[in-house]
Amino acid sequence: MSVLLLAEHEQGQLKAATRNAVTAAKAIGGDLHVLVVGSGVAAVADAASKIDGVAKVLVADSALYAHPLAEPLSALIVSLAGGYSHILAPATSTAKNALPRVAALLDVAMLSEITGVVSPHRFVRPIYAGNALATVESADSVQVVTVRPTAFDAAGDGAAAAPVEAVAAVADPALSRFVSADLSKSERPELTAARIVVAGGRGMQSGENFHLLEAIADTLGAAVGASRAAVDAGFVPNDYQVGQTGKIVAPDLYIAVGISGAIQHLAGMKDSKIIVAINKDEEAPIFQVADYGLVADLFKALPELSAEL
Amino acid sequence: MKILCAVKRVVDYNVKIRVKTDQTGVETANVKFSMNPFDEIAVEEAVRLKESGAATEIVVVAVGPTAAQETLRTALAMGADRAILVQTDLETQPLGVAKALKAIVAKEAPGLVIVGKQAIDDDCNQTGQMLAALLGWGQGAFASKIAAANGELTVTREVDGGMETIALPLPAVVTADLRLNEPRYATLPNIMKAKKKPLEIVAPDALGVDLTPRLTVLKVEEPPTRSAGVKVPDVATLVAKLKNEAKVIP
Amino acid sequence: MTAYVPPLKEIRFVLDHLAGMADVAALPGFEDASADMVDSILGEAAKIAENTLAPLNEIGDRQGAKLDAAGVARTADGWGAAWQTLVEGGWNSLPFDPEQGGMGLPNLLNTAVQEMWQSANMAFALCPMLTQGAVNAMQLYADDALKAIYLPKMISGEWTGTMNITEPQAGSDLAATRSRAVPNGDHYLVSGQKIFITYGDHDLTENIVHLVLARLPDAPAGVKGISLFVVPKFLVNADGSIGARNQVNCVSLEHKLGIHGSPTAVLSFGDEGGAVGWLVGQPNRGLEYMFTMMNHARLNVAMQGLAIAERAYQQALSYARDRVQGKPLGWTGNAPFAIVHHPDVRRLLMGMKARIEAMRGILYTAAAAVDVAHNHADEAERKRAGLLVDLLTPIAKGWCTETGQLLASDGVQVHGGMGFIEETGAAQHYRDARITTIYEGTTAIQANDLVNRKILRDGGAGARALLADIAALGRELADGADDSLRVTGLALLDSTVHAGDAVEWLLTAGADDVRVPAAASVTLLELLGLVVGGWQLARAGRVAVAKLAEGDPDTAFLSAKPLTARFFADHFLPRVAALRTTVVAGSGSVMALSDEQLFAA
Ligand SMILES: Cc1cc2nc3c(=O)[nH]c(=O)nc-3n(C[C@H](O)[C@H](O)[C@H](O)COP(=O)(O)OP(=O)(O)OC[C@H]3O[C@@H](n4cnc5c(N)ncnc54)[C@H](O)[C@@H]3O)c2cc1C
Ligand SMILES: Cc1cc2nc3c(=O)[nH]c(=O)nc-3n(C[C@H](O)[C@H](O)[C@H](O)COP(=O)(O)OP(=O)(O)OC[C@H]3O[C@@H](n4cnc5c(N)ncnc54)[C@H](O)[C@@H]3O)c2cc1C
Repeated sequence: MSVLLLAEHEQGQLKAATRNAVTAAKAIGGDLHVLVVGSGVAAVADAASKIDGVAKVLVADSALYAHPLAEPLSALIVSLAGGYSHILAPATSTAKNALPRVAALLDVAMLSEITGVVSPHRFVRPIYAGNALATVESADSVQVVTVRPTAFDAAGDGAAAAPVEAVAAVADPALSRFVSADLSKSERPELTAARIVVAGGRGMQSGENFHLLEAIADTLGAAVGASRAAVDAGFVPNDYQVGQTGKIVAPDLYIAVGISGAIQHLAGMKDSKIIVAINKDEEAPIFQVADYGLVADLFKALPELSAEL
Repeated sequence: MKILCAVKRVVDYNVKIRVKTDQTGVETANVKFSMNPFDEIAVEEAVRLKESGAATEIVVVAVGPTAAQETLRTALAMGADRAILVQTDLETQPLGVAKALKAIVAKEAPGLVIVGKQAIDDDCNQTGQMLAALLGWGQGAFASKIAAANGELTVTREVDGGMETIALPLPAVVTADLRLNEPRYATLPNIMKAKKKPLEIVAPDALGVDLTPRLTVLKVEEPPTRSAGVKVPDVATLVAKLKNEAKVIP
Repeated sequence: MTAYVPPLKEIRFVLDHLAGMADVAALPGFEDASADMVDSILGEAAKIAENTLAPLNEIGDRQGAKLDAAGVARTADGWGAAWQTLVEGGWNSLPFDPEQGGMGLPNLLNTAVQEMWQSANMAFALCPMLTQGAVNAMQLYADDALKAIYLPKMISGEWTGTMNITEPQAGSDLAATRSRAVPNGDHYLVSGQKIFITYGDHDLTENIVHLVLARLPDAPAGVKGISLFVVPKFLVNADGSIGARNQVNCVSLEHKLGIHGSPTAVLSFGDEGGAVGWLVGQPNRGLEYMFTMMNHARLNVAMQGLAIAERAYQQALSYARDRVQGKPLGWTGNAPFAIVHHPDVRRLLMGMKARIEAMRGILYTAAAAVDVAHNHADEAERKRAGLLVDLLTPIAKGWCTETGQLLASDGVQVHGGMGFIEETGAAQHYRDARITTIYEGTTAIQANDLVNRKILRDGGAGARALLADIAALGRELADGADDSLRVTGLALLDSTVHAGDAVEWLLTAGADDVRVPAAASVTLLELLGLVVGGWQLARAGRVAVAKLAEGDPDTAFLSAKPLTARFFADHFLPRVAALRTTVVAGSGSVMALSDEQLFAA
């Protein structure tokens, strides 16, 4: 058995989600090879090589992979797939884009967003927005799997660094072209990796009012998240969305402000360690999952909270 | 240009699902089913492309049980022109569905396939990408905006860090994200016309496709439930509890 | 939170098994109303009701309709777009003739769609309701020229219709109507003041078509001297485009107890000589025409009684499941204990559920009979159905609206103190429900109609025949195998005996004192309402038991039906005997006090 794990990185940094996926890979067992794909990613490869349990790092460093489009990325993975029993990746938008392609090209089924490893062929994954957990077994020779980072601990660094090996880029299928990216820039920690998340919903009423949350986030070193309603209303960009179709987060502390707690939102945050809800409707479903609920007008509560902290 | 959309019949997103006591799945008897919301967005986008003159015909496909005809009729009422049901009582899984769609694409030769990014029952988020791979086509997954010009699509995609825009030569597969559009209500005349629009039923065998599931569901369980905690009277108490009881803030 | 989820399964059950949707679909002209089509239509209408109309209910209540400086009634935020959704979707045209742009679907199906609009947002739904009513009247009585100008746009909903009957001195008694119409070339000049005109002015559409009752110069006095006119807010040019503003002015809007979102206008016609209008049909027959429209409208207002009760019930049920208060007697489960487990909360909820299902049975049965009366190929069948509609209409309007109010009140009660607080929305339903027993003829006017035109006029034949049918069902169930239905059957049978007594009494009661039947009329209406309500629940129970025996898997839904019928039999049918006593023995004492005695203290 051997596992090929696609690393996630951004701006020359290995992303923490990769470490969570390593833990899942270790639960599967066998040799673990990490694949780093990008342009100018030596530092990422270096960081990956240090993670405990990694036996080898493969690096495909090429301008072709500066923006990892699904077609060239999946072509590369398929070219390397021979000999691996598992192809893994943290469930990021890059992997969700490319791995189904890999599975189809290998003519195998795929397992999305696993939250548990029962055995090398048996996994637990949430279905129905996390309202049920399915234990699934695959009969295929190769398992293509994305891993929900919040379900696994982050692997730390090991004693020795694993060898790093360069692999060649594969010819670009040229089926799509990168045009531009409009990425949110923020000094705050990244949503899925933050220890504390402060999230706002439709109750915030406007984008300007999100400053009330940002002030608190900055005091706490927290990331800012949002419900779909808040994103749809244009208060904040789409990458703030937490939920079934947004980001899945499980911080130590999640503070939901003016969010009603629809199941689709809960699907993205109900594994947080401590949940705080601030909502003026005492019947809002969010209170059913909150450890601490405060029934209050957020426009009164947030300034008070800022002051208290 | 012809557009092909795939639609899935799923338990309505408003239904609070219950896991069966024998752990074989979730309760589906007497539960409301609807079109997968992402697929509704896919169909809406196709209809808008047709209305703008960028497309000439919309074919919708469902792979599933006889009852999925209802879902297809809904798509026809929204403005699709023709429907195909690949009928099966097997549990459908993305790879099998992608193969069935590939066979339909071979017959229909659409210039663009639009599907929902994920089905809200199995939450797989695979079918569109798999279909693109099987066809050897490019893909624009998680699209929040698309524009057609000069035989190409410009697709804005929702990615973890924000938005990414790609150029996608046709033919290609697009998967629809929630913010691509807001689906319309079907009009009464269109609901009535939908009944008269052609709906073809084909067997997977006739397409040479094997839909046997590759993944076996061994059991389905309730997730651990979170119980409601306490209500705090004011902000000061909240902060005190977070500091001293939960110890999550310094 | 005041979400509304259309009860599609229940609606479908009543459509199929109590109203006979399949039989209606088999009538000539309704070929399109196949079972799957009905599903698609109800499904889409449900989405609109739930997602577009229901969220505007509270906004309409809070903002209300307001008259702006230019004298235009402005509706609440979002109402214009919602109206556009109905127009673009073709929903207003559902029951009308395809020749004129209608969809040619049964009234029965329209009734189910209207139920959802009314539950979602009653103040809003009045607008389509009145527009459809105006179309009905025009279709029957207007000449081709008028139809060609107005009907297509009213059917589509591009223009709305109103009913201008009430005047300050002419409410229940239309003989007092004073508005005048004077011939002037090819048209008439109409003048006078109308009050309480629902959607008499608004900003949803570019034109409003008023149907106005007024007197011609040479008209005889009383109700036989009233004619019906079409008076548009804006005149219509020959090419169909909007022309000059007509002399119809919205003088003010009323401040009301409920339905704040619905503009209730005082309209002044012909302030400067006369508003241009056209005669509909023959002179002096306006009231007769208006009555056709009103019969339809009365069933629709009856539907409002059901609809508001359904909304109030959904809210009460959900509150009762969540609200924790006091350990219920006999409760063996774990904490927390929701109030839904308290026997008295259960009694309130069961009372709501049972009467809602009874109302739905009555109204859908009547709606199906309207279709049969219009479309059946056989003259005798049409006549039979027509008589049933005639008899059921005042009972439905009277009983369903009075019951709707009671249930909206029970909905408040289930909420406890929170019910009295506006935020929960329970209070709004209670306020909104209050109008339904007043407009389209008060309950007293319905009862007069029931007694004089529906019972006395045919010597009680129609009422006797209906009671005989109900008694036959009671007998059948009393002999059946299902325990709940046996009890229900016996109670139903018993209630028909008391109802029969009351009807027979009525036939001779007026011989000595004409005031006696009038004094008994509303009580008799309530009595018959309970009997026909019990009849519908018993029918539903019978169908459900049969379906369960056939192995239908929906056991929770179906097995509740005979139990619900039984609840009604235990709690409501016994009241029939008491009401009989009141009718037969108590009507004399109604007028026993002299005026002097009444005003003595
Ligand atoms: C297929 C599908 C996928 C979806 N995916 C997601 C997803 O990934 N993430 C997601 O979040 N949603 C998702 N949704 C949407 C979800 O169903 C809800 O509509 C959404 O989460 C609601 O957002 P909200 O709680 O901000 O808004 P609302 O439900 O409108 O709640 C606003 C809350 O703010 C409170 N409030 C208002 N004013 C104040 C005040 N002054 N002080 C205090 N409280 C106040 C109100 O009491 C209310 O509880 C999805 C829906 C579908 C159909
Ligand atoms: C919100 C609202 C909307 C309305 N919309 C419209 C509309 O769109 N178009 C329109 O033309 N009108 C409309 N109306 C008017 C409505 O139809 C009348 O208010 C209703 O018919 C009662 O008339 P009234 O108000 O004059 O009461 P009255 O006739 O004065 O009645 C007062 C009381 O006397 C009783 N009573 C009167 N006569 C008799 C009798 N013969 N036997 C027994 N009891 C009797 C009544 O039952 C009632 O209890 C509306 C009214 C309201 C409040």
